[in-house]
Amino acid sequence: MASPLRRWLRRLLVGATALAAVTALAMPAQAGSRLLGTGGVTQIEGAAGGGLSPWGVLAGTASDTEVAVSVAASEAWLDDYGLRVRGIGVNWHDRVEVSYARQRLALDTLGGVLEQEIYGAKLRLFGDPLYHPWGSWSLGVQHKRLGRGQALARAVGAEATQGNDLYLAGSKLFFDAVAGRNLLANLTLRSTRANQGGLLGFGGDRDSGRSLVAEGSLGLFLTPAWVVGVEYRQKPDNLGFAEEQAWQDVFTALFLTRHLSLTGAWLDLGDIAGLENQRGGYLSLQLAL
Amino acid sequence: MYPISTRGYVAALLLAWALSGCAGAQPQPAPTLYQKLGGEKGMHAIVEDFAYRLADDPELVAFFANTNIDYFVNSLQDYLCVISDGPCVYRGAPMDKAHQHMGIHEADFNRLVDALQATLLDQPISASARNQLLKRLAAQHAAVMRYQ
Repeated sequence: MASPLRRWLRRLLVGATALAAVTALAMPAQAGSRLLGTGGVTQIEGAAGGGLSPWGVLAGTASDTEVAVSVAASEAWLDDYGLRVRGIGVNWHDRVEVSYARQRLALDTLGGVLEQEIYGAKLRLFGDPLYHPWGSWSLGVQHKRLGRGQALARAVGAEATQGNDLYLAGSKLFFDAVAGRNLLANLTLRSTRANQGGLLGFGGDRDSGRSLVAEGSLGLFLTPAWVVGVEYRQKPDNLGFAEEQAWQDVFTALFLTRHLSLTGAWLDLGDIAGLENQRGGYLSLQLAL
Repeated sequence: MYPISTRGYVAALLLAWALSGCAGAQPQPAPTLYQKLGGEKGMHAIVEDFAYRLADDPELVAFFANTNIDYFVNSLQDYLCVISDGPCVYRGAPMDKAHQHMGIHEADFNRLVDALQATLLDQPISASARNQLLKRLAAQHAAVMRYQ
């Protein structure tokens, strides 16, 4: 399935990552002008958000006259699986975000590897997380294509190996909310057929249609550059062979500079493909310019 | 309905009177944000530090090219005093008129907020006071951007 186009995209991603890394480290200038942390970090599908869920804000700290690029490398170490994500997102004028992510799930216990590509776009409809009374609201789409592991997805009952998620996300910062600190609240409603985010295909023998699921997170800025919080992401349960539960985590993100942030989390992803209680650590490094 | 006896009513009144501070200890009024920011001295330090940050930012300083800096600094100090419930009078124009046709972009507004946050972080004030002031100023965003 490695078409020339996909190989080219992969090279582009690697090239852009390297370029972004070099530029970010060589350039002490501001990446954008929005307050640090208000663009979130890169979530596992490549969009600006927390770790698991896309937020209503766009990548980086670009404002109406600026462009921001962020690249991220993330790893999750679960009991029976290992997830690796590489992502890149571009924020144009704080209006449109375009993103691309590659996920690679190593099946440590079952054996084998699953790979998925995610092409994302997010349009900020209105608002601002700091200044608008309702916060910032965005409409997003994620086109997901399973690469390696299509046979496995089919074998466990998935109907398709590609799918589209649509979501509406809102983010609002509440100043002086808890112990004098600012609280960032995020709510996402998603329409999806994805099994385990798409890594086990789309639709299934139990339910082939779309499900509307809710995702939410709360992050408390202990300092303007250090946030701690919790996340919750509901998921469909389409496959008869194994139950699927919501994902959740507790996280902390440190915005070391405008160009560099580090996120750590403790994940609880429930059962995955019949292997119960998948928990473990998560680390993500993001470069922005 | 539960009928309240006269005795019970008087007892309740006495209790309320006792709780309201008849023992002589007048309850302290909660400090205003102005006081939490250090009063006049604190406000002066904030405005001075902030003005230097604006001057050091080539993008932001351009907006003040035709501004009388003394007037601006005094006016800003009065404004911050009033918005934080301090004992001052702000005689300047309302926020929308004061900023009209300056060509302010969101990026400029955000830079200024970032500069102000940096200023506040350098002052000996609590996180609560810092974020409360940012909250009150953030609410002025719509007015500032109204006539751009």
